[in-house]
Amino acid sequence: MLEDYERYMEMCFRCSLCKWPPLAQVKSWRFSNICPSIQRYNFHAYSGGGRLIVAYAYLQGRIGLTKSLVDLVYRCSMCGACDVSCKHNSDIEVYETLHAFRVQLYEEGAVLPKHREIIENTLRHGNPYGEVKEKKAAWAKNLKVKDLNKEKADVLYFVGCTAALRRPEVAVNTVKILKAAGVDFGILGSEEPCCASTAYKIGARDVFEKHARRNVELVNKLNVETLVTSCAGCYRMFKVEYPTVAELGFEVLHTSQLLEKLIRDSSLKLTGKVPLKVTYHDPCHLGRLGEPRTPWSGVEKKVLGHLILTDPPKPVRRGGGGVYDPPRNVLKSIPGVELVEMERIREYAYCCNAGGGVKAAFPDFALWGARERVEEAKSTGAQAIVTCCPFCEINLSDALNGDGSLKVYDLTSLVAKSLEVGE
Amino acid sequence: MIPKLAYRMIEEVVGEENVSDDPVILDSYSFQYLAELQEGGAKWLPRPAAVVLPGSTEEVQAVVKICNRFNIKFKAHSTGWGVWSGVGREGVILLDLRRMNRIVMIDEDNMYAVVEPYVTFAQLQVEAMKKGLTCHIIGAGANASVLASCTSMCGYGWTGIKMSHSGRNVLAVEWVLPTGEILRLGSLGCGSGWFCGDGPGPSLRGAMRGWAGTLGGLGVFTKCAVKLYEWPGPPSLEAKGATPFYEVEVPENFRVYVPVFPDWKSFADAAYMVGEAEIGMVMCRNAPFLIGMALSPSVKDFYSLWESGALKDARFNFVIVLGGSKRQVEYEEKVLRAILEKTGGRNHPLAEDEFTQRQLFLAMIKCCYNARGVFKASGSFHTSLGSLESWDSAVRGAKIGEALKKRFIEAGALTDDGGDNAWGGIYEHGYFGHLEELFLYDPRDPASKDGAREYLQACVNTAIEERLGFGLEALTEGAETHDMYGPLMCNYHKWMRKIKAALDPKNLSDHSFYISPSEEDQ
Repeated sequence: MLEDYERYMEMCFRCSLCKWPPLAQVKSWRFSNICPSIQRYNFHAYSGGGRLIVAYAYLQGRIGLTKSLVDLVYRCSMCGACDVSCKHNSDIEVYETLHAFRVQLYEEGAVLPKHREIIENTLRHGNPYGEVKEKKAAWAKNLKVKDLNKEKADVLYFVGCTAALRRPEVAVNTVKILKAAGVDFGILGSEEPCCASTAYKIGARDVFEKHARRNVELVNKLNVETLVTSCAGCYRMFKVEYPTVAELGFEVLHTSQLLEKLIRDSSLKLTGKVPLKVTYHDPCHLGRLGEPRTPWSGVEKKVLGHLILTDPPKPVRRGGGGVYDPPRNVLKSIPGVELVEMERIREYAYCCNAGGGVKAAFPDFALWGARERVEEAKSTGAQAIVTCCPFCEINLSDALNGDGSLKVYDLTSLVAKSLEVGE
Repeated sequence: MIPKLAYRMIEEVVGEENVSDDPVILDSYSFQYLAELQEGGAKWLPRPAAVVLPGSTEEVQAVVKICNRFNIKFKAHSTGWGVWSGVGREGVILLDLRRMNRIVMIDEDNMYAVVEPYVTFAQLQVEAMKKGLTCHIIGAGANASVLASCTSMCGYGWTGIKMSHSGRNVLAVEWVLPTGEILRLGSLGCGSGWFCGDGPGPSLRGAMRGWAGTLGGLGVFTKCAVKLYEWPGPPSLEAKGATPFYEVEVPENFRVYVPVFPDWKSFADAAYMVGEAEIGMVMCRNAPFLIGMALSPSVKDFYSLWESGALKDARFNFVIVLGGSKRQVEYEEKVLRAILEKTGGRNHPLAEDEFTQRQLFLAMIKCCYNARGVFKASGSFHTSLGSLESWDSAVRGAKIGEALKKRFIEAGALTDDGGDNAWGGIYEHGYFGHLEELFLYDPRDPASKDGAREYLQACVNTAIEERLGFGLEALTEGAETHDMYGPLMCNYHKWMRKIKAALDPKNLSDHSFYISPSEEDQ
């Protein structure tokens, strides 16, 4: 319920910290913005704090459910950067409040046509793209991968809709790497369900919960030890959000984490040289939004007059607990690869601006944000951007539009290349 | 509502996407920090009639001229933090200067920068450091606007010992008057660049801002030059680790101390001596409650620290950061040790810890934890008393403030910070100084916010009775307070009114937080 978040709206002190990286991490004027939405549209309402105020105005009946309200709420990639910057100094749950606002609008029927399409596709076809489900297995043809619908394995490789349908090379490379490392794994092929990440971010709570329960039950039944995924969005759903509605009987890893482990225990030996200067783009859903939740229920109490405590102490997700080092460590393990960092990284990384339904509903805005990230990548002198999310890869590539100034790779591409050269 | 024609004309000036009268957009400008302490206690300020995002001085001027043509009131803000950034009445157009965000230049040789309204201290500082320079940053934090603080508000920061306060750091200014004319102050006014605020060319610093600034009530400041200072540290301070505690190595040529003293007297004497010796690039008093909050990862951690009593002996403290050449720092350390010996001071064990040293260094230099220290505990805070005085007077004010505040703490209105939460320091090596009494309250709790408002009123009365001078309790009140203080202070309020009337003959620049041109007009 949106009302449950009213206290956070009231607590916004309008400092605008949500518009910049945590102040200790401001490194230049040029790259000192953290929120694509306020950077693009400028009115305060487009910032994290501004949206809290708008939610409060809505809750108080000062403004109604208008087209412009819905437009404002959804011109945001829900990247969570505002939340990190705010919580560097406060305990205000900005992200959770903005998410609750979307849920409220969705439940009142205020859904953008493009988002309605995504939700219907998710429900009808098992993917947000509206592709027939058989297409999801096409990439695996001739790869001789275990089919976990029929066979058993230790690891489920959960490919994700975007990798399977839009970036099949990610899936193909991942399979090559896992095989090279001798991992006992399998896939679900055309039976692999959608994680419902986009539906979740749009605010379709019913769709999310249905998928969460069903997906967890499905994977639990497979008796795998580990689920590994190529997609930052799927990772976040399984690792962070599903545990709020179902109990997982398996470990959840992102490909980068598994690769780091395999390299560390020498199951995977990267000897082939890949001479490339790269910079790493942290996907929001693997980074700050990939920080696990610690369940909490309790009450607020006051001591020293008005010093507000939570009882028991409420753990606050500030974004520092996401997956940041594994992809970097993997890159550093590839002979020839030189990693140079952008200014905005880790929990204060700038979003590629594809998520939260933005790419579907506001494609120009999605590209605008991606171009800003590309400019930052170029400023490092890197030849390529590496990321760990096929959706980020798509949007960053679209922003470059094949201009040849930078390449965009999924992490697995470079690992596979190193294996190939090393053979 | 503003006339449709006026709206269309503004659209033509700034472009359709840079003006809005949509309530969804407007309401995000009606909710402000401290609004609940205004008369009536409502969290919402009046909704602006429209919000405009000009992108240049020319656009600001054109919008102001349209306002003049249609007799529409207007108000500008930069980063827009605080109740004074909002409009004070219905029918006012708000100019959000966010698109004017450029550092126009940094003149390394002459040590100043020229900035537009939306440049923050954090942005200016990182660019200045690359050139071996730094800027004064106010207590609000590095997220605040450099220009707004320098032209329109008062602002002291931790480097005040060397760099004074915002009003002293502003040089030449470009100012769109309420009539739409452009006035260039200081050297800029005679075509000689930005290097000086007081000539050649018109010197109107007093009329432009006085001590507290005009809080948006006297036109729009579109560019200003600010002083920069030598930065003896590295060109960038790399902050490692993860939120909430990034860490910066204290460079070899810097030292961080937290001297504590037996009582107010020895504390004050030591500060005078530090000033006379001209040591330190940071010197600031932070009450134990504030230090504890800024250095604690959570409110729970703070509470444990507070209850442990570990901060009790840190009461009469100041944080001092020494920085410069190796020889200079060695010299300053010797001087500081001698001062401590003379005054019975000692370095607090807190400052011996390397982690704390790194945190304090980061906090003092980059001003990045300021909001944490005051908002996190109870949801909001405000400040009181603390006019610019001799240091002994500032200390006297702190004692009076503590006694007064304790009454409100005991009544259950304010957070119990021990009563003493006086923050401030000496300016310009001890020439003057200030200590303001911070207080914390819960803005969601009616009794707490009512109590906070009553406390502010009590501060005004006390400041007048005790002759403490114009303090920070009066910032949000506008003309009413000036009318109270003015007769006690050379009738300054009458001069303010004359300035307002002369520069804003149609009274269009929203004066809600400044002063009206006549008493009847308030």
